[in-house]
Amino acid sequence: MTAHRVDAGALELGAGLETLVRAALQNVPPGGELEVATASRAAAFELAGWARVAGHEHAGDTTEGHGSNATFVVLIKRGGHAAVLAPPLPRRARPPAGGELTLNGLRRVEPAPEHADPAEGLVPIGAVAEAGAPAYEWQLNDRDRIWAARIASLVERAARAQWTSDDIPWEAAVGLPEHVEAAVAQVMTYIAQNEYAALYVPARFLPQVNPRYAEVLQWLASHVHDEARHVEVFTKRALAGGARGYALASTELSLHSLLEEHDFSAAALLLNVLGEGTFLDLLRFVERHAPDAATAAAARLAHHDERRHVQFGIAHVRGRLERSSDEREALVAAAEARAAKLTSLSGLNPVVTDSLVLMAARSLRPGDLAEAGTAVRGLMQTMERNRVRRLAAAGFDRPTALHLSDLHTPNLM
Amino acid sequence: MDVLVGAVAYHPRIVTIWEGFRDYFTAAGAPTDYVLYSNYERLVRALLEGEVDIAWNTNTAYVVAESELDGAALVLAMRDVDADFRTVVLTRRGDAFSSPSELSGKRLALGSRDSGHAAILPLHYLRAAGAEIPEASVIRFDTDLGKHGDTGDSEFRVVRAVAEGAADAGALGDATWAAMRAEGFPPAAELEIAWRSPAYYHCNFTALPSFDRERAARWTSALLAMNYDDPSVRTFMDLEGVKRWLPGDKSGYADLTAAMREQGYL
Repeated sequence: MTAHRVDAGALELGAGLETLVRAALQNVPPGGELEVATASRAAAFELAGWARVAGHEHAGDTTEGHGSNATFVVLIKRGGHAAVLAPPLPRRARPPAGGELTLNGLRRVEPAPEHADPAEGLVPIGAVAEAGAPAYEWQLNDRDRIWAARIASLVERAARAQWTSDDIPWEAAVGLPEHVEAAVAQVMTYIAQNEYAALYVPARFLPQVNPRYAEVLQWLASHVHDEARHVEVFTKRALAGGARGYALASTELSLHSLLEEHDFSAAALLLNVLGEGTFLDLLRFVERHAPDAATAAAARLAHHDERRHVQFGIAHVRGRLERSSDEREALVAAAEARAAKLTSLSGLNPVVTDSLVLMAARSLRPGDLAEAGTAVRGLMQTMERNRVRRLAAAGFDRPTALHLSDLHTPNLM
Repeated sequence: MDVLVGAVAYHPRIVTIWEGFRDYFTAAGAPTDYVLYSNYERLVRALLEGEVDIAWNTNTAYVVAESELDGAALVLAMRDVDADFRTVVLTRRGDAFSSPSELSGKRLALGSRDSGHAAILPLHYLRAAGAEIPEASVIRFDTDLGKHGDTGDSEFRVVRAVAEGAADAGALGDATWAAMRAEGFPPAAELEIAWRSPAYYHCNFTALPSFDRERAARWTSALLAMNYDDPSVRTFMDLEGVKRWLPGDKSGYADLTAAMREQGYL
């Protein structure tokens, strides 16, 4: 067998020699020999010990030339063990086309599998997993149970659409009349309280998702991050004018029942389609009727995020209904089970309703209050109408959509 | 009945290694248990008294046992790193010598006095190659005595002593040196190897001549079949510093036996 050869200059161990030799040995078959030529006698001496520890054999030394021009040649016989306990990496392929690396582009390297091994490690898309890693016990291992059409584009949009509390003109939040500020503080507190639930629900599923479904992880992470920001800005707006609001027990009861939902698809229906869907109309109302620019901006920016969340929910539920004949029944049962826990709630808490009216009226004048009251009642009708429309978009027939909308929590989320 | 292996607990990882190996041997049809001792003198005595079937010995411990048994010990196996083991002698950069005789009168740092590779053999080889090294010019780091240099602690001290100028040269095992360099131990970067010893063997699994040959063969063949490409044992083999087990061979201990006689260890 012809020996391979590498010129190591005067490199030493710890300063590049072992890296060069390891790279050169990759081209040598097990049992084959590599000549390492070095100008350093000390490097030649230390290479033998390194080779043995690295699982190779030191097969001899020779010297070429004399004196200061001498070259020391160390012969290393490659060991038979695999450096990494995995099949060889695939050959270099054509890079993903188009110059732009999209998530869908990555999936051309390796499609999302229909089912993933529950013991799967944290293996990025395209990576070759080494054997011998500790086993995990992921709970969500079936693609269709957590996927949504165009999830990659939702993830990418979420990443591009991030904003911060600095985007809100907080200076506009001061100086409102006492009763208007009190109403705004209560509405903002109510929204913030609900946003906590919208954070906890995706956060609970996040660590259950098999790492093979990177898009779902990224989606849930963006969802959690969005809601954390919503909690922040609505809390800030609640306190920005100096007033405080109640965290109402009726809201808590509703959210508690939402957090008790452990099925991914049922949670997508109850939170994304029904809860956040209904909040889209609420946020639009707050934006339109806010007495100050800070409140309006917070509602507008949060609305952008919630729209994405609703799109995910609709796409996910639609996919589930299309693929599984049992799913419709299971989702309806989940909505009914939750409604059964909320029988003590007969409507949106009057503290919230009154605050919406007072916020929208901006005064205690009867005319303004009447007009605002009409607007809030109109909001409730809009919510009902749009809920049914979203449920239809998610794939439910009209009678079922009407039934599900009726079952929805009076707390709105 | 389980084969009982004795080993020295020179580091907490020894428990991890032998727990892993015990599972391996059970699965391989050669049930094995282990007992740990705090030093090689106790381990050798346990072997000689039949307390354990097999001792996982350093070369120094093996030579003592072999001498007690008048050359009748069984050597079952060793690691790939134990064959072709060498001692290296370091100097500060630029101070390398071309012949060991140039070390005469210089200060030589050595590891623990019971270490074959870091004390007994370097003194033997260097003196044989013409270096006059009286005990007065030897700087010894007798740390972890009883562990025969396994902990590596004394070798780190040797390297530091040479780097700091407290010694002119220092001896240690070539495997320890390669690990220090690869891991970037800073004093090692200031030194270079000036001389390298002939090859010798290091650790081995030693048994009494009375150890049942069939049990010995079954245990040894299970050990030799241990495969580094098997993910269930790779971690333990890495901790033990072995990629391949080799059959036992008594041919690599003559120099150490001579050195231990000269230096009064036998």
